[in-house]
Amino acid sequence: MATQTPPRSDAPPKAPAGTHPSADDPHVLLENEYDFYEPIPPYPPRTEREAEFYTLGDGEMFLNMGPQHPSTHGVLRVVLKLDGERVVDIDPVLGYLHRGVEKLVENADYHQTISQVDPLEYISSLFCEWAPVTAYEKLLDVEVPRRAEYIRVLSGELNRIASHALFMGWFALDLGGLTPILWSFIERDEIVEMLAALTGQRMLFNYFRIGGVNGDLNHEFLSRLGDWMSRAVGQIDANIALLNENEIFVRRASGLGVIDSETAMRFCMTGANLRATGVPFDLRRTHPYSIYPELEFDIPTRTEGDSLARYLLRMEEVKQSIRIIDQCLDKMPDGPIMAKLPRLLRPRPGRAWAAVEGPRGVYGAYAISDGTDQPFRLKIHDPSFIHLQAVGALLPGNLLADTMAIMASLDPVMGGVDK
Amino acid sequence: MTALARTWDRLTLPGRALFILVPLLALLTIGLIVVIGLFGGQILDILIFNLPIVRFVFAATVLLLLAPPIAFVIIYMEMKIIALMNLRVGPDRVGPWGTLLSTVHGLKVLMKEDFTPSRADPVVFTWAPVVVFSTMALSALVIPFAPGLFAQDLNLGLLYFFAIGGLTVVGLLMGGWASFNKYSLLGGLRSAAQIVSYEIPLTLSVVGLVLLAGTMSLNQIVQQQGTSGWFTDWFAVRQPLGFLIFAIAATAEANRTPFDLTEADSEIVAGFATEYSGMRFGFFFFAEYIGVFIISALTTVLFLGGWNAPFPFPHLSWVVDPGSLGIGLLFIVAIVPVLGTLLFAAPFYLFRSKTRWWVALIIGFVLFNVAVGGLFGLWAYINFDWVAGLFWFLGKTFTLVFVFVWMRGTLPRVRIDQLMGFAWKWLLPASLLNLFVTALAVLAATALRGGAA
Repeated sequence: MATQTPPRSDAPPKAPAGTHPSADDPHVLLENEYDFYEPIPPYPPRTEREAEFYTLGDGEMFLNMGPQHPSTHGVLRVVLKLDGERVVDIDPVLGYLHRGVEKLVENADYHQTISQVDPLEYISSLFCEWAPVTAYEKLLDVEVPRRAEYIRVLSGELNRIASHALFMGWFALDLGGLTPILWSFIERDEIVEMLAALTGQRMLFNYFRIGGVNGDLNHEFLSRLGDWMSRAVGQIDANIALLNENEIFVRRASGLGVIDSETAMRFCMTGANLRATGVPFDLRRTHPYSIYPELEFDIPTRTEGDSLARYLLRMEEVKQSIRIIDQCLDKMPDGPIMAKLPRLLRPRPGRAWAAVEGPRGVYGAYAISDGTDQPFRLKIHDPSFIHLQAVGALLPGNLLADTMAIMASLDPVMGGVDK
Repeated sequence: MTALARTWDRLTLPGRALFILVPLLALLTIGLIVVIGLFGGQILDILIFNLPIVRFVFAATVLLLLAPPIAFVIIYMEMKIIALMNLRVGPDRVGPWGTLLSTVHGLKVLMKEDFTPSRADPVVFTWAPVVVFSTMALSALVIPFAPGLFAQDLNLGLLYFFAIGGLTVVGLLMGGWASFNKYSLLGGLRSAAQIVSYEIPLTLSVVGLVLLAGTMSLNQIVQQQGTSGWFTDWFAVRQPLGFLIFAIAATAEANRTPFDLTEADSEIVAGFATEYSGMRFGFFFFAEYIGVFIISALTTVLFLGGWNAPFPFPHLSWVVDPGSLGIGLLFIVAIVPVLGTLLFAAPFYLFRSKTRWWVALIIGFVLFNVAVGGLFGLWAYINFDWVAGLFWFLGKTFTLVFVFVWMRGTLPRVRIDQLMGFAWKWLLPASLLNLFVTALAVLAATALRGGAA
């Protein structure tokens, strides 16, 4: 079966005068004998790779997965070339969630940019704020008060747990398990509610400020946090036991999407996906920032590098995050939560790079200032985009059923990929 | 005449329908009475002469009519039980505890647009749900629900069941092929591969049982399991390995989690049903849940003793002759309902200060009716064999349905290669082993008894 590409050289038939303008559109005039059912690109192939991909071999077929598929994470479109149920090749099509955040940031002043970068990775918004805010602080040479740093770490680790809880649920759902997502959403919802008490919003917190945070710890947040911490370990263990001892889950996830440390580093993977291959790389220890040097926690690693290892590693990280939260609450100092700064920020011309360890890996921000009150450029380095590259290497050879599971185990968020 | 026209104008659509239907029904009833009055004897003679055919037609009609209510019950069970396992509330809006929700779903499905994709094969596309639904419903014809309560007692009942049940795959494949959708095609092919593979261990696991029972009539298989009245007679005890294999293969046969690859929503959207909408989708949906019921019923019949109670009950006799009550009968009919209602209503009114008196009365009336219904059921259980049989049969069947739902709430889905590997590498050898051991045991038993093998 060869590709059935429509004859592109022919101009589409002109609609008779007086009809609706959309009648000119060849995609609307379906009485033409064009075959619109194959996922062909809307242009002649531009590269050799595209031409090779969109030519079908013997017994192969295309399957257009996404952007509206029940289990794509966000709106990722993947064109799969299938041989039976086995994936031969894939062509990811990005950009369905592109909002031009980096350009928007260039036309907003420094305070406004924080709310612009917030929805990049909507699952873990605090880390999207943390990296640019730190970069601006480097540009401005601001010393952040210690209480503010503690609050940042505290809320950030809570957000990390919320993100991992969601990961666990989605991963199980992509493997066909119905219950874990609803169980893990209980924990996530509790965390999100307490963060809402702290920041004012459930999802896009807009909480970190240049030189500190927006509001101090309040009674509702602390009482909710105390309630939750008293039962958190037990709840998380129950959730983990739901999946870890499930024979079908373990058999499906182990040996799935194996990536070795060499390849992972060549792909620039970071975070849990890299640590699952045995590389103990965690910015909180390797390039310490904020108050992490003062806290005690371990960097769990695993050596298998498969989906199960990535899943188990994230569950280990949740426990470490709880340790960090405990210590933050113990050591929380008194003092101001904002550095003294003028209303209108005009940093010196220059550039600054800052990175934080988020739940998905390294969130980086590279800010360039030209001396005005708006950043000249803010480059966001997003781990989801980096990890999604690996999909091209991991999927071919696997079965159709595993495509979504492998993608879920890398835990990408399309908001961050498409920016 | 003008009054009639004005009335007609003011009627709503259902009202107009009733306006026409009620006189028609009245005419039809009168006509039927007249016809039966004139030719009743001859009609009865013809019916009695063709009793097997009449029985078959009647049973098929009853089964087809019973299929949607059974599906509704199981769908509600599934929604509610999985919700409780997920720590959700589940349906609770329509009817008490949301019990009417699946019925409303059924009505909704009837009202939705019946959409056919432009490139689909319309004939095959239309007939696929019919094939799936009718094969599922017709395979219930041989299942004995209770003593005397079965459609047909075929001497090849088991074979008939597997033959008709295996036809479902044709419908699924038709739906997957005709939809002109790659997800549907993948779902249809998966169902073909899966059902064909699991038919073999499913059938082989029962051969040992057939060797022991010496018959393929489901009715006789059930009767053999009730000889001593104890559950030790059940084939689940005598054929544990066969029971296990049958349970697993039956789950795959019914396309249920963890073997629901044909409609794996995280992989192939909705499988063969992707392009279906409206009542055609409804037929697929009903067929799935009727399949669950029928597979559970067959497991009950084959391995769990069918209508037999698990242990012998002391025989009770509770026959009341109304005539012996005399004036007491009047007392019972006139006074007991009122007294009972008041008795049941009293605690609600006395101890819950917020309950209004009329609400308490309604609650009391409902509770009284429940109590009377329970007593009546007990009386029926004692006096009628088939009521007792139906009680045990449905109890066991719905326990198995619960297990199906439980698995859906708990287990992830297996992969297609794991599924096929499990069928061919584990289930098939295990069922052959089971058959071999059973055959040896039967031979040995026959030899010991001194008979010829």
